[in-house]
Amino acid sequence: MPQKRRISLRTLLSLFLVLVLIPATILLGVFVLQDRAYYFISLLLIVYTMLPFLLLFEKRKPQARELVVVAVLCAIAVAGRAAFFMIPQVKPVMAVVIITGVALGPQAGFLTGAVSAFVSNFFFGQGPWTPWQMFCFGIAGFLAGLLFRKGRLRAGRVSLSVFGGLATLVIYGGIMNPASLLMGSAKLTWGAVVTSYAAGLPMDLIHAASTVVFLLVLAKPMLEKLTRIQVKYGLLRESS
Amino acid sequence: MAAVTVEKLTFSYPQRETPALRQVSLSVEEGEFLVLCGKSGCGKTTLLRHLKPALTPHGERTGEIALFGRPLSSLSAREQAARIGFVLQNPDNQLVTDKVWHELAFGLESLGMHPDVIRLRVAEMASFFGIGPWFHKNVSDLSGGQKQLLNLASIMAMQPELLLLDEPTSQLDPIAAAEFLQTVRKINRELGVAVLLTEHRLEEAVPMADRVVVMEEGAILVDGPPREAGERLRERGHGLFSSMPAPLQIGAALHAPSPCPLTVREGRRFLSGLFAGRPPEIVQLQEPAAQKKGGKAAVRLKDVWFRYEKNGPDVVKDLSLTVEEGSLFAVMGQNGAGKTTFLTLLTGQNRPVRGKVWVLDQEVGRYKGGALFRRCLAMLPQNPQALFVKKTIREDLMEMLREVPQRQAEERLLQTARLTRIEGLLDVHPYDVSGGEQQRAALAKVLLLEPKVLLLDEPTKGLDNQYKEILGGILKDLCRQGATVLLVSHDIEFCARYADQCALFFDGTIVSRGEPRVFFSGNRFYTTAANRMARHLFRQAVTNEEVIALCRKNGVSPCEPC
Amino acid sequence: MANYGFSSYHPAVNFLFFAAVLLFSMFFLHPVLLGISFFSALAYAVRLNGWRTLRFCLTALLPMAVLVAFLNPAFNHDGVTVLVYVNDNPITLESVCYGLAAAVLFSSVILWFSCYNAVMTSDKFLHLFGRVLPSLSLLFSMCLRFVPRFKGQTKVIAQAQRGIGLDPGEGGPLRRAKKGMHILSILTTWALENAVDTADSMKARGYGLKGRTSFSLYRFGRRDRAALLFLLALVVLVGWGALLGEATLQYFPRLSGKEITGRSLVLYGGYALLCLTPLILDAKEAVAWRRSQWKS
Repeated sequence: MPQKRRISLRTLLSLFLVLVLIPATILLGVFVLQDRAYYFISLLLIVYTMLPFLLLFEKRKPQARELVVVAVLCAIAVAGRAAFFMIPQVKPVMAVVIITGVALGPQAGFLTGAVSAFVSNFFFGQGPWTPWQMFCFGIAGFLAGLLFRKGRLRAGRVSLSVFGGLATLVIYGGIMNPASLLMGSAKLTWGAVVTSYAAGLPMDLIHAASTVVFLLVLAKPMLEKLTRIQVKYGLLRESS
Repeated sequence: MAAVTVEKLTFSYPQRETPALRQVSLSVEEGEFLVLCGKSGCGKTTLLRHLKPALTPHGERTGEIALFGRPLSSLSAREQAARIGFVLQNPDNQLVTDKVWHELAFGLESLGMHPDVIRLRVAEMASFFGIGPWFHKNVSDLSGGQKQLLNLASIMAMQPELLLLDEPTSQLDPIAAAEFLQTVRKINRELGVAVLLTEHRLEEAVPMADRVVVMEEGAILVDGPPREAGERLRERGHGLFSSMPAPLQIGAALHAPSPCPLTVREGRRFLSGLFAGRPPEIVQLQEPAAQKKGGKAAVRLKDVWFRYEKNGPDVVKDLSLTVEEGSLFAVMGQNGAGKTTFLTLLTGQNRPVRGKVWVLDQEVGRYKGGALFRRCLAMLPQNPQALFVKKTIREDLMEMLREVPQRQAEERLLQTARLTRIEGLLDVHPYDVSGGEQQRAALAKVLLLEPKVLLLDEPTKGLDNQYKEILGGILKDLCRQGATVLLVSHDIEFCARYADQCALFFDGTIVSRGEPRVFFSGNRFYTTAANRMARHLFRQAVTNEEVIALCRKNGVSPCEPC
Repeated sequence: MANYGFSSYHPAVNFLFFAAVLLFSMFFLHPVLLGISFFSALAYAVRLNGWRTLRFCLTALLPMAVLVAFLNPAFNHDGVTVLVYVNDNPITLESVCYGLAAAVLFSSVILWFSCYNAVMTSDKFLHLFGRVLPSLSLLFSMCLRFVPRFKGQTKVIAQAQRGIGLDPGEGGPLRRAKKGMHILSILTTWALENAVDTADSMKARGYGLKGRTSFSLYRFGRRDRAALLFLLALVVLVGWGALLGEATLQYFPRLSGKEITGRSLVLYGGYALLCLTPLILDAKEAVAWRRSQWKS
């Protein structure tokens, strides 16, 4: 039973993560890394969360059509910027990732988010921010897929836009602002975190607003297009 | 031994009444070069895909297919991947990876070959196909022709014994297409690989073929050597005969003795033979009508210069041109001559550095806020897919009529659909129709702007003759209704047949222009096959019909049928 | 500078170098080590990207570094040596020092990344991970194929829209955004529908068969092995020194570090050698080239 094996593999991996790797990292951070502990612990934790998703995809040996569709969506998320060459702050990544999560499931959502961020940085430059961005977009896609599967998120324009706006503010802004702070300071103080949020807020608001607008306008047609492809070519029946 | 044998293959797509293939029996000998032709939708692609199990469509099927005597179904996935190569139509869609070298290795990686073996095979292919100079490039930096050669090379790297090609040159310009077909021929000759090619560029493909198979409505109509197949088509008065090479058409019409001429060289000899010792008395059909002067100018350019960058090269140089109202004006020329840039000057997307451009009575720059596109000017892009966004063609067309009241809108939609002959396709998804139909749907969308001046960029790209004839008819209808059509094209035969005025664009400006007959007979190379065949005998004979008519007038009577 | 000296070594050598240097640079706050890392990174970045690097340093990096330098003392009031009180909050010497160190650390990490971006091109990255993560690598390669293609198609679509009077560059921000989304929608249909061909092309070339291998142009030669061993030795040396506490400078509560001994000097030397490896290898190549010219 491939189904059974997959679940057991996932369980094993997560057990290993929770019981061994994460405590070990925290101990290492506390006793060895001293001043840089916060930065490294958080970085490693983020890498750990992403690993199982990526390894599961690898393990599943995706079909050609599945691979192509995910690649297309990632590339649209990255290249979509070109359609807004006259309004440069607008980035469609978050919207595309959320739509993917809803249409193709949480795993594909995570993958599209993480890979989009990674690929995008290949064009705009990798940096210490890469893993964090991968994580943020990945988790947003994952959550969209998961909530939709569990019936907590409807595929309507409004609910998706609300989710998109919140995801951008809470997940992306919520993680990226303190993450950039951690790069250059020993520890997180409340004052510093609040300041980083305040400083990041204008950009986060623009980002969130553009995601909301994107989803309001594009969610329905994009979902229809993906459904058509799925129906026409029998694509991607991800087991949830 | 036959490379492939197909026995009584019948196939229907799910939920379709009429079968797509009916009792098809066909064999391709080892090392044979076979051209498969037929109108769009005749089933040739479906047949081709049946020979490659990985691409075979779902549906109901009876009949047998064997590869070198073994039933195709008994071949393992690995065997069929390696032994049967398949090249698709669109060069861009087939490229999977970002680097040329990686693309070459892709199939070999799938087969699980050792990297050292791959290294050797990739090196061999790069040498055979002359890929060396662009071996390290990104695939996005290649030209269309290079991309398709790369697709072919990456399949040949797997050393197939049978090569299937589904209209591989339809998206290429004539020079790249000729080069591609020559490479296929080289593969066939030098490596002995059996080739099964579907094509609509029959002018070039048919003379290369050992055998031509013509399909109609899912069945095989004609199967034989090129000349014989051509003659048989003519006997039947089949529409596809008009896609055959011009020498064959002219030869068959004049009942050339067997074997019929197939190439321009043979055609020329044949015509010379007809008039050996007695040169033709009538060398010209009639004086071309004197240029109608005083027609109103629909488009006018005066001393226009343009470049993209401040210190860049001039792309358009000292261009002056008048296009009269109601005429079909064709601008021809090679890639990179500046034709497309020229169109952007008319749409106002680019402003000339010096000089002026008028559309109808106003300078382009004077039209404000999209006024240029309100019942004035519109352009059909080269790739019609750049216009579709909705679920059905009807919705896509309705998008253009948002400001028109409902009933009126529907009326106009139907009217335009009738003009562009897509009435039956309105409720279909724009990507579920054939290339030619897609283009007509896009044309309909553009025509809903009610343009007085219609611009078209490479409108015959990827179209077979049947679709070209329909398109030509539509454009003529438009001109008759008073619109002006300005098209940019590589397609000499199409322009010769339908244009009122032709112009050759070269190095940023127009080097010659005139009424097609005058225009083409003034060219030595850049002219129709019929003209190249007959230019030493007749003046200003450009189309097949004109050459045939002149021969008849000079007393060449249908003698012995061949 | 692509494929010259250090860049022309096997991707594993490149990657090991950047992984080590980035890790150490993110971690070491000792002023000597910070200095070594920063100046090596700056020198290599200038070598790779020319004077653009300096412009980047002044216009983008410097303001951020200044921000980092101020941020620490502003929010972190640990430390015992109070310099001044601002709004009843102590500004401590330790925190100011830490801020300066963090600013240099931040700058060197960014500079190392700019070198990384120039040296670790996508095919090097793919070569390294193609064997370990074949599907993800292929996915990544396909994305790199699609992104420029989609950007090109976006232009084609925008132009087609202009041709029917919907210029995406005209109108207010809202109208532009709307037209942009229209283009994105057209692009999505086009991309998804055409992707089926791509999948067919993959299947036609046997994708999905068991035992897919991974090919690349890179070969691991003797030169690469030597460089790899050299780098590994340095990494072990520096790591050992760090574990012994030679790389540590305590900032809080009070600046305190170990005395500089011979062992510290070995660590500094090893770290400098590690950070300068690319420049040394580039210089070696230049010398080799000149020699080959003498012979003829």
